Amino acid sequence: MSAILLVRLKITDLAAWTALETGRKLLDPGHALTRIVREQLLLFEPETGQKADSFEGVLGEAVRHSNFFVNPNKETFRFLGAAERGETWSPPEGAWGILSRARDETRDESLLQSLRREHPMPGLGAIRRARVWWLWSKGPDGDAAAPYVTGVLGELRDQKHGLLTNPHAEASMILAGATPWSRVERFLIDPAPAFRAAA
Amino acid sequence: MARVAVVQIPGVNCEYETTRALEAVGLEARIVRWNEPASVWTEFDAYVLPGGFAFQDRIRAGAIAAKLPAVDRIAAESESGKPVLGICNGAQVLVEAGLVPGFHRGRVEMALAPNKAPRRAGYLCRWVWLRVSPGPGASWYAASIRPGEVIPMPIAHGEGRFLTADPEVRDRIQKDGLALFRYVAPSGRPPEHYPYDPNGAMLEAAGITNQAGNVLAFMPHPERASWLRQVPLELRNAWGERRRAAVGRRHDLEGAGPGRIVFESLAARLLAREAQGARS
Repeated sequence: MSAILLVRLKITDLAAWTALETGRKLLDPGHALTRIVREQLLLFEPETGQKADSFEGVLGEAVRHSNFFVNPNKETFRFLGAAERGETWSPPEGAWGILSRARDETRDESLLQSLRREHPMPGLGAIRRARVWWLWSKGPDGDAAAPYVTGVLGELRDQKHGLLTNPHAEASMILAGATPWSRVERFLIDPAPAFRAAA
Repeated sequence: MARVAVVQIPGVNCEYETTRALEAVGLEARIVRWNEPASVWTEFDAYVLPGGFAFQDRIRAGAIAAKLPAVDRIAAESESGKPVLGICNGAQVLVEAGLVPGFHRGRVEMALAPNKAPRRAGYLCRWVWLRVSPGPGASWYAASIRPGEVIPMPIAHGEGRFLTADPEVRDRIQKDGLALFRYVAPSGRPPEHYPYDPNGAMLEAAGITNQAGNVLAFMPHPERASWLRQVPLELRNAWGERRRAAVGRRHDLEGAGPGRIVFESLAARLLAREAQGARS
């Protein structure tokens, strides 16, 4: 079990705002997109044979009381220790998500090295990065129409289809409803699934 | 005289230097705003998407600009054989719009991913060494480069790693000779490691063309190497020697730099096309 840090801007996120504006233009009439929120996800993976509680205390202090991970002037965060995060990850009320990771490597070695220099943390094996886009959408039937919106705003296929991830550099996973953290961990730790070219 | 549109998208920052470099090789260059009406784009013989940070690189470098109607128009013009050169951020736009390599019309087949080098991450600004590989783009953008010649040029990017997740696309780029410019060591040998391989791009590619060769996504900045005065004094090859010899000689410093080769090739091809059009 890993510890999780979610960081988002509390000032206006211009990338999310631009994604919203661009996304609205790409959707067919009858579909609405009301909000997009972008969050950075950091997953703190214990060394083999260790548990996250061996470093969570020190890590939580570093998150809350240093500006190593979070700039409190512009960002807000949620730090979820292995025990408190629960079994599943639920999207914000009314939203669903697209989680994306780099296709080749999710580990951030330089961040880990810097962290070890400033905040020694025995037991911490790796820091992995991902990004989540939370979307509030509505289709003609009143539901979120997530499969349709994913096709239009998810993986980039051509000029008219896809926006938030480029599948040649990133792999993505849909977060519809409560998603087991174990699935999120596997998505970040395992090699990215093979690319499938659009038909 | 051949007319070139230098596309000014909000956030680009190299449009004036690029215009000057194009004018220096005898082309008529005009900065054209991204929101000009559709009819304006047909007036030009060639298009250059300059470097910078179109739409502040929001979401991903080039992602928003790639969806502009202007890019749509330029894509349509490129299909009639008109050349399109994307420099750095312009290259990112062309890749995100699916113009390069363009095996399947309109399909995005590559990414320009964040740089990858041992113990280094993020933005990188330095001079690199390039060599031209034979391919369909050579007559458009590298005609005046001698076989085997090693050319120094500056790069300045955080996301310059040409990458495809589709092995078939990678194989075709290699087989068809679309990786026109490749990073090399100063000796001309394969780069093997950083800094000669500055970002970990597949095939050590610095510039990739479409199959016709008229569209080039080029990460280095030739407009920042178009005059000898722009060449660093410490460069260890013939260009560096020329630069050192020109210290204090204003006339010599205003001579051509290594990046001008790209614009000269483009100009020669455009002017030849124009002359052919006048004859027929």
